[in-house]
Amino acid sequence: MDSIAELRASLGRAMDNGDPSMSTADRLCHACVDLLDVDGAAISLMLEGSSQGTFGSSDELSRQLEEFEFTFGEGPCMDAVRDGPVFAANIGDAAETRWPALVGSALGLGVGALFSLPINLANSYVGTLGLYRHAPGPLLGNSLVGGLMAAELAALPLLDMISAEAKLATAGQDWPAWNQLASLARVEVYQATGMVMAQLGVGPAEALARLRAHAFAQGLTASQVAWSIVERELSLEADNERTDPGGRHA
Amino acid sequence: MSTDREREIIRAFVSIANSMAEGADVVDLLSGLTSDCARLLDIASAGLLLADGHGTLHVLAASSERTRDLEIFQLQRDEGPCLDCFHSGQQVSVNDLSQETDRWPQFVAAATAAGFAAVHALPMRLRGTTLGALNLFGDTTGALAADDLDLAQALAHVASIALVTDKAASDKETINQQLQTALTSRIAIEQAKGVLAQLGSLDMDQAFAVLRRYARDHNAPLSEVAQQMVSRKLAAQQLLDHSRDKVAVREKAR
Repeated sequence: MDSIAELRASLGRAMDNGDPSMSTADRLCHACVDLLDVDGAAISLMLEGSSQGTFGSSDELSRQLEEFEFTFGEGPCMDAVRDGPVFAANIGDAAETRWPALVGSALGLGVGALFSLPINLANSYVGTLGLYRHAPGPLLGNSLVGGLMAAELAALPLLDMISAEAKLATAGQDWPAWNQLASLARVEVYQATGMVMAQLGVGPAEALARLRAHAFAQGLTASQVAWSIVERELSLEADNERTDPGGRHA
Repeated sequence: MSTDREREIIRAFVSIANSMAEGADVVDLLSGLTSDCARLLDIASAGLLLADGHGTLHVLAASSERTRDLEIFQLQRDEGPCLDCFHSGQQVSVNDLSQETDRWPQFVAAATAAGFAAVHALPMRLRGTTLGALNLFGDTTGALAADDLDLAQALAHVASIALVTDKAASDKETINQQLQTALTSRIAIEQAKGVLAQLGSLDMDQAFAVLRRYARDHNAPLSEVAQQMVSRKLAAQQLLDHSRDKVAVREKAR
């Protein structure tokens, strides 16, 4: 129990005050390699069922694997955003018949196991934390729990990806990552997210990203902005800020 | 106990048992259960709080869908009788909130501002694990009768059983998974309420009524309708139209 709490704290710390020359997404991926029984990690944004690009990674091979998915149009990450976590513990096994093209290329690079954990934003899967290991074998115990926790944290850099303003604003960015996540898991934030969805005609993840971006820009908490929206003092319809979804096709 | 009230209590348990036997949507069922609490007991508001995998409490169901009311329950994520009850697994009864400002400064201030004077938290236990707590607010000071506390505790037990429907769910992981599913469906319901509130110029109570009416009339689980709406597989306007038609029919019949 204690070691899980420690693991949770370590992952949070990697996001909060790791190497400042790296993005938070990169730091989280490196923390996965340091703390879990995996050799590489990458965070990808997947909208409308297809890959929109990789936004954080621990190494070149991780990026390459995500690139394969994009090229072949198949792979664990695409399955994970649709169906939930994917665990391919031994891709060299003849019984592993999913994604034949991708597996051929991955084996060629010495990869033995592929895992993909969906990243949940505002109750929808919008991205994945992809993990690989050279040696085949399942993701067990603390590595599994830690992977799931890292996928929770990965929601934060993805939120920033979806709404470019949030990246520019600095207010609240020095908040610990776990606290930032908790600040979004609130009744008024859920309700306001729904209202913004209707105001802007966007999905839940983008609505939440816009709400958060507005909060950062005004130096407010997500809860404060949510209350203003729920009480109809604020409508994001009036917001003419443009979102730049980072490489998302028009 | 008056026979009228006795009959009402029986009716509440029968209705819960029927819903469970029919495999009703858990958030819907537990919203009904909190409404039963508010009606059958001498209290103003009832809410169910459930812990997630990190031990953080979330509002799963409440007798009122107003955001402000839900917020008072939600506040106990940081401090309050529910949090204490969840940690100790024991009932926490406070007959006069104003005496407890030192114990829970933020919670007491907010609850008092909302007009509450007494609060009770009853543990939701299942096979040795505390899943969350049933929270009752009174708008006058004073103790709940022992019978009423027993009744509330029985309803809390029923809530636990309804949440973990899988008989085989004895291991912690399966239980956690079921709780997480319930919490996740609550998120979609809140988002759906927001969409309906915005499009239909409704308050959150009315938005919930629209959602619930559509689900019931289509024999679909509440959380599934909410999920389909927020993923835009089901148009929110369809729910609003359905609700409007119903009202129109009722007015005509008058």
